[in-house]
Amino acid sequence: MQNNKKSNLKQFGFYLLLTILGILMVFPLIWMLLSALKSPGEIFAVPLKWLPEVAQWGNFKEALELAPFGLYIFNSTFTALVIVIFQFVLSCMIAYALTQMKFKGRTLVFNLILITYMLPTEATYVPSYTIVAKMGLLDTLSGVIISNIASVFTIFLLRQAFMQVPKDTIEAARAYGAGDFTILWKIMIPMSKSTIFVVSLISFVKMYNNYLWPSLIVKSEKNYLITVGLNKFFTSQGSFADKWPLIMSANVLSVIPLLILFIILHKWFIKGIGDTGLKG
Amino acid sequence: MIRLKKAGKLFIFLGIPMIPLIVFWFVPMIVSLWLSLTDWDYISPTFNYVGMDNYTYAFTSDDFYQALKNTVVFGVFTVVPTIIIGLLLAMLLREGLKGITFFRSLMFSPWITPMVAMSIVWAWIYEPDIGLLNQVLGWLHLPQPEWLHSSSSALWSIIIVTVWKNAGWAMLFYSDALQKIPRDLYEVSNLEGSSWWQKMRTVVIPLVSPTTLFLGIMLAIESIQAYDQIQVMTQGGPSGSTRTLLYMYYQMAFEQFNMGQATAISTIIVIITGILALTMFYASKRWVHY
Repeated sequence: MQNNKKSNLKQFGFYLLLTILGILMVFPLIWMLLSALKSPGEIFAVPLKWLPEVAQWGNFKEALELAPFGLYIFNSTFTALVIVIFQFVLSCMIAYALTQMKFKGRTLVFNLILITYMLPTEATYVPSYTIVAKMGLLDTLSGVIISNIASVFTIFLLRQAFMQVPKDTIEAARAYGAGDFTILWKIMIPMSKSTIFVVSLISFVKMYNNYLWPSLIVKSEKNYLITVGLNKFFTSQGSFADKWPLIMSANVLSVIPLLILFIILHKWFIKGIGDTGLKG
Repeated sequence: MIRLKKAGKLFIFLGIPMIPLIVFWFVPMIVSLWLSLTDWDYISPTFNYVGMDNYTYAFTSDDFYQALKNTVVFGVFTVVPTIIIGLLLAMLLREGLKGITFFRSLMFSPWITPMVAMSIVWAWIYEPDIGLLNQVLGWLHLPQPEWLHSSSSALWSIIIVTVWKNAGWAMLFYSDALQKIPRDLYEVSNLEGSSWWQKMRTVVIPLVSPTTLFLGIMLAIESIQAYDQIQVMTQGGPSGSTRTLLYMYYQMAFEQFNMGQATAISTIIVIITGILALTMFYASKRWVHY
């Protein structure tokens, strides 16, 4: 009995520690939300005020009136989604060729892809920028999309997933006269669907959060991605003290779509990410 | 006929899907290397070959060495703490704990958010006079640095944000690795009555070393590419104290349109990344226990 009590206490202490750590980790997010709901007077209060007296929900409306964040979020979601779909289709085909087709130079192609995986994307930006410009796609969402559809990360992980598919299954299908597209679509993809889902999720988040490259490509407000629009808003309004609650509201707006995605799919992120990449 | 069919299939499965990769990865890498030997300014249609001038210019300028030093400091002090915090969090949140997914989600959530948005929030937290951090430090009677406004603390402020954002990511990889440690190994060391640190040193650290290596490489490469937080919080300032090589490259290329010098810097970045990846792979043969 005594022992039990002691271990209960220990467990309580442990959970308390976890809760404190968890709150510390998400505190910047909480602080962002609290600041978004404050009035300009409250946000600058010294000593600081933790909670707004009256939650200023109107801040969101005002932020939306100053800049079309809804449009920015749509642009980001749309581009990220299209990019992920293209990445999926192209990477599946490449991964299929790399695992199921025998040809000269297969190792060479794979090694080239592997090296690219390690290299910083930014090193390609000067020529890529010129290429996008030559294609006449500067300041278009298509420019952002087309330059991002090659994903070495996706190819790499799909290749690993495809290698796990049992050879017998593939050979049996081939014996029944299944063609390459059928095998890819009916066997490889269904058997790797959890990897595909996790990789797509990660790619989506990365593309939604992508900043440097899109900021070079898009120039006019109607094409801003959320990250670009948000930073423009920050640099244009940040010098006005009374605009800080609005900046925080804009921040909240930009984060919300991803938070919703994360709340719904957190199990996939948590379980899937540790699994990927280390199987090789 | 069969060979032709095979070639056709290969063309469809590999040839066409590789086009974006070739156009936006392979070709730019080579063109970038070539541009680094010129004095192209993006606007004019002509340019001259200048040989290695862009490289000698880089290697003789103080700005380059400052940026190199910042890159190294930023890299070391984001990678090491991220790995340590990630491992400790993973050990704290061990399998079988009630509500484990909830706690893991809390720790991981910073990774999901856009760096641009979080940098704005942190810039606000770091505000020297009215920001949350200095007010809290004031209550505790601790020193209140100027954070982003001083060249001695700005880089450290950016490091803190980066570690905060990535620690949860590292935790997930370690959670997976820890789960794969056979239970008996723990039990043996429990029987022997080893201390927590002994257990760490003899069981945990050796057995998660492949994960440490993997994370080390990925985080180091990512740290070299850090841009968003620098752009939002300091733009490389104050007085170049947060200008990394990558940020320098960005400024040269897209603010000054000095493409020759910029691509020379990018080649140096690529070489550093390559050396880093290779050393870590070779190091792995010595000390990683698979």
